[in-house]
Amino acid sequence: MKKALTTLLILFLGYVQYAQDYDFGKVSKQELEEKICPQDSSANAVVLYKNEKISFEYVQGEGFMQNREVHERIKIYNKEGFHWATKKIRLYNSSASNSENLSSLKGYTFSLIDGKIEKEKLKKESIFEEEANKYWKFESFTMPNVKDGCVIEYAYRIKSPYLQIDDINFQYNIPILKYDLKISTPEYYIYNKLLNPKSSYIPKLNLTKEHNSFTINSKARSTTGGLTATKTEFSQSKTDYMDNVITINEVNIPALKDEPLVDNIDNYRAKLILELTAIKYPNKPLESFSSSWEKVTKTIYDSDEFGIQLDKTGYYEEDLEYLIAGETNVSNKITLIYNHVKSKVKWNGYYGYRTDNGVRKAYKEGTGNVGDINLILVSMLRSAGVKANPVLISTKNNGIPLFPTRDGFNYVICMIEDVNFNVLLDATNDYSTVDILPTRALNWQGRVIRENGSSAWIDLQPKVKSEETVLLNIAINTDLTVGGKVRENYTNYMAMQHRNRYANVSPDDLIKIFEKNKGEIVIENLEINNVKDVEKPLQITYEFQSNDAVEEIAGKLYFTPMLFLATSENPFKQIKRNYPITMDFPVSTKYMVNVMIPEGYEVETLPESSAVDFNNGGAKLTYVVKKSGKYLQLLVNLDLNTTLVLPEDYEYFKGFFKSSIEKHNEKVVLKKII
Amino acid sequence: MTTKILSFLGVFFISSIVYSQEELFSAATIPSELKYKANAVVRYNDQKIEIKAYNEILVTQKRIVTVLSKAGNSDVDAVFHYGRGIDIKNLEVKIFDAYGKELKKIKEKDFQDVSAVSGGTLYSDSRVKYLDYTPISYPYTVLLDAEIKYNSTAFLPGWRPIEGFYVSTENSEYEIINSSEVEVKIKTQNFENYNITKFNNFHYKANDLSSLKPEAYSPPFKTYAPVLKAALVEFDMVGVKGVNNNWSDFGKWMFEDLLNGTDQLPDQVKQEIKELTKDSSNDLEKAKIVYKYVQDKTRYISVQVGIGGWKPMLATDVDRLGYGDCKGLSNYTYALLKEVGVDANYAVIYGGRNIRSIDKEFSSTQGNHVVLYLPNQENGVWLECTSQTNPFGFIAGFTDDRDALIVTPEGGEIIHTTTYPKEKSTQVTKARVKLLNDGSLNGEVTIKTQGYQYALHEGIQNEEPRNQDLHFKNYWDYVNNLSITEMEFENDKESILFTENIKVSAQNYASKTGNLLLVSPNIFNRVTHIPTRYSNRTLGFEIERGFVDTDEFIIEIDESLSFDALPDAVSIDTKYGFYQFSITVLNEHEILYKRTYSLNKGNYPKEEYARFRDFVASVAKNDKAKLALTLKL
Repeated sequence: MKKALTTLLILFLGYVQYAQDYDFGKVSKQELEEKICPQDSSANAVVLYKNEKISFEYVQGEGFMQNREVHERIKIYNKEGFHWATKKIRLYNSSASNSENLSSLKGYTFSLIDGKIEKEKLKKESIFEEEANKYWKFESFTMPNVKDGCVIEYAYRIKSPYLQIDDINFQYNIPILKYDLKISTPEYYIYNKLLNPKSSYIPKLNLTKEHNSFTINSKARSTTGGLTATKTEFSQSKTDYMDNVITINEVNIPALKDEPLVDNIDNYRAKLILELTAIKYPNKPLESFSSSWEKVTKTIYDSDEFGIQLDKTGYYEEDLEYLIAGETNVSNKITLIYNHVKSKVKWNGYYGYRTDNGVRKAYKEGTGNVGDINLILVSMLRSAGVKANPVLISTKNNGIPLFPTRDGFNYVICMIEDVNFNVLLDATNDYSTVDILPTRALNWQGRVIRENGSSAWIDLQPKVKSEETVLLNIAINTDLTVGGKVRENYTNYMAMQHRNRYANVSPDDLIKIFEKNKGEIVIENLEINNVKDVEKPLQITYEFQSNDAVEEIAGKLYFTPMLFLATSENPFKQIKRNYPITMDFPVSTKYMVNVMIPEGYEVETLPESSAVDFNNGGAKLTYVVKKSGKYLQLLVNLDLNTTLVLPEDYEYFKGFFKSSIEKHNEKVVLKKII
Repeated sequence: MTTKILSFLGVFFISSIVYSQEELFSAATIPSELKYKANAVVRYNDQKIEIKAYNEILVTQKRIVTVLSKAGNSDVDAVFHYGRGIDIKNLEVKIFDAYGKELKKIKEKDFQDVSAVSGGTLYSDSRVKYLDYTPISYPYTVLLDAEIKYNSTAFLPGWRPIEGFYVSTENSEYEIINSSEVEVKIKTQNFENYNITKFNNFHYKANDLSSLKPEAYSPPFKTYAPVLKAALVEFDMVGVKGVNNNWSDFGKWMFEDLLNGTDQLPDQVKQEIKELTKDSSNDLEKAKIVYKYVQDKTRYISVQVGIGGWKPMLATDVDRLGYGDCKGLSNYTYALLKEVGVDANYAVIYGGRNIRSIDKEFSSTQGNHVVLYLPNQENGVWLECTSQTNPFGFIAGFTDDRDALIVTPEGGEIIHTTTYPKEKSTQVTKARVKLLNDGSLNGEVTIKTQGYQYALHEGIQNEEPRNQDLHFKNYWDYVNNLSITEMEFENDKESILFTENIKVSAQNYASKTGNLLLVSPNIFNRVTHIPTRYSNRTLGFEIERGFVDTDEFIIEIDESLSFDALPDAVSIDTKYGFYQFSITVLNEHEILYKRTYSLNKGNYPKEEYARFRDFVASVAKNDKAKLALTLKL
């Protein structure tokens, strides 16, 4: 007996210690008293509890409606966490029958006042509905009486007529201590489930089934004939079905924090994605949707706003005939058509692989979205006998889709697959060229769709290096000023970036841009060549006079032969990284410097020639210095062959940059000839 | 016969106008001097403001803009706010190509219609319609016809003959037609230097004004560009009638019609605040207690609906909800101060890092922010009520050194806010470092900031450690391989002094050549940016706030090193600022580096810009000065 009691007591104690009541409104004193998040001391707020339930309810006349019930309890430690007390929920709102609606919003703020829990209700005055534009509305609310240490709690429900379920995000940029999720979907709808494998946090799914049912009320009128009254009969029919249930119960989910040079932090977020892949109603055949990339691609290809648009040719036929009249060289034809589309149809800033206005209208009006423009390009090339195909893409901000879905793509470009050509084209940017795409499109892989409807993956990662070649000729004058000439050449992506940057800048302002961060310098005769001539490298030349490049210390002269071209600051300052660094394209920079030594001086010390390597050629610096008579010659090459640096290599990579920068800044010492 | 001739003349006259307008649809007709340094040219802008009553105005605008390059797209300025007593009656746009051929017609329904909730605001009932047009090629021309009805007339559209940077003006006309009894006030600024014709007080025309371009350190656009301001002496503000003969009037109206009655407090709060202040001997002490009470209890949330864009939320609501915007929080603080017997005034101001004053010569609806003013304190105390962390009475960096409108029961009054002269905006950096013979260094730095410099520094304490680490690496970005080993912050809100204690180390700080080590003794406070160079400076320049930096670094070198060459002391005194540094040898292994750098607040003529730039350039150069150490072998 005694023993049993102690066990009970222990159990009970244990219960007291760990029990937390997650029912709405049952906020505890401990939760309010806590000063710092034990799991993450840097957190300004923490989600103590989140409960999300998604289910479908049969509504007569409308079918299954989606219900999403959300309950969140958030602890706010300090003022930096106050913004968690304001929530803005975006809802689709295109028309009455196609809208998502928020209802049953309730909320309280709990505070501890003189040891007592007090609560303040969220009222109508703090709830706002904003019609943002044609498609979206925002429901926003802000909790009353928010102070350091308070706990806020709210719950709401979103009703949606859509079967598509939004992604479930398990990670915020604050920790979530407990997350309960239940998703019940009627057996008629088959969803594909996927957890983000790139996330370092993977929640555990439990799959079960539950009984459910719905009832249909019907009304039937019967006439018995003759003059007798008609009779209305009410009847009910109940349908039983099974729900497929996913439950997830997780504790201590860490915060997800963004870092610089991450392609898209969402690619690393713990999340569950559900894709409706099929509908199977009783006594009806299975209606299947996208479930493989082949099928997704086929569905897109067959849609009115895609494949059919490619077949339209009438609107440009005359122009095309004129454009390529007499031209037999395929390469020339491609160039002519590509340039024609770039200048004829301007990008309106909208993405999408589907056409917006349709190719005909876009062509006529001269503006269109990505789909409009690049489908026109593909179609015109095909009409000219070039084997061109569309390539579906997911841009960087769209992330990397985790499984086959039409939303996985949001962009389209053109691929030419000819015997002699295998190139990619995008006509939405004035300065992109053959195989040089706007960097937004350099993400993951593309799906090319061939004319027969078959499709395949292609690699989008640029392989060809983009080059920066700089020639620097300098002479040190007797008054220690430095005069010189610079010639810079840029190819491929480097050329595109510089064109985007400089194309719309006046010559006056250009000089100011070039003089920036070069110390006491005066730049003259600045010329930029081939800005419009995108097939050629971009060339920049200028002359300069610098007053602070050479230092005289104790009768000796010190200077960095690369002058202002030397990288002076390590771009990698973080101590450690959690996610990979992604760069858009491989780069090769070459600096060739010739220095004329001033009269009456000779070299005392030269930097040593050397080479630094990262990951067996992933990145490489070579530094060669030579003296010949009055001249010094310097050759510095920096190649960044790799475009992906994993977190475990980060320190090594940072170290490579450290050595490179130190080499860049090494000084030549000159002494007077006695 | 006469009639016939007349009508013929009429037809002729009308068609001539049409003809001249059509000419403006083509980019080819732009005078070449207007294309110089312009992204867009306002070919024709005719704004007519018909005042029918104090609460009814009709504005008709015909506008033709030729856009020359991508950067000029926003100069079309087809953006129309509506709601809150403003209705769009008509909007229509036609687009023409470079040769004046019509490309497209865009009707009001094809404008984008979106909510105008600006950043930092949770909700507002203001909306905006704007033209969303993708140009096919440049140049192109936009013809805009707009008709806007204002029943809320607190903001009477003014006129900017030059609309902004890189926009030139071919023709621009502005006319007020007043058929009401209400008097209209007009103020023109900087008209004298520009080609502007005045027909009468209410009718002006500008022709062939070349564009202006921005220059570094130049004063605000409106201080040198031509601007016309207009206001009604009686007006309507979202249904509330207002009076505006002068600032006194306007302030009185604000007090009576917008503030009066909003300052009630629940009894229990009155008791509470009285209890908290009962032992305070003076008003300043009481005000400090009230300020802290508000900071602990409230937060900033901006909701702007109807007259609520101008009238504060009730103090009782702020008390209950624990939030409000600048008006609500200031008014709540005002109510609490009043309860404990401390005089305070609601004050309308322009908030922002750039100093912008309420125009004291021209009363009208101005300002974008509200603070409180305590008139009976020495020099006047200003309270920023939207911050939960700000020290009492501290306003540097956001509302300092500018004219504000004080609202009192007797009327409005313009008062200048607290300025922080350079002697009060100080930064003192002290360090003690050790330099090893491999060129690396380690040591401790202390940065103490006050005044405006306090405002620039104190924010770092609230960042997460990861960002604090990066902040210091960027603050000393010229020190490569910097590691921050310890950070500690002290925020003395009583004397408004912020202290940062940081321990650092850096590999290869000194560059080594042979047995020589070159070291810049200015490790912790360098000027690295030299102001932009202009071969032909067109605008004067301004140093908005002065400051003084002083630095003292003790550098100890490893025993195997000895001082070889030390740079000579430098002292530069100019009217723009002062700079000096010196190095004192303390002993065989220690030197003391001392530095002072200050800039003087002021407006200076364009001719002096090059001299100012030279001064900063020599500061930057001297901050890099190096000393040489010899490694004993």
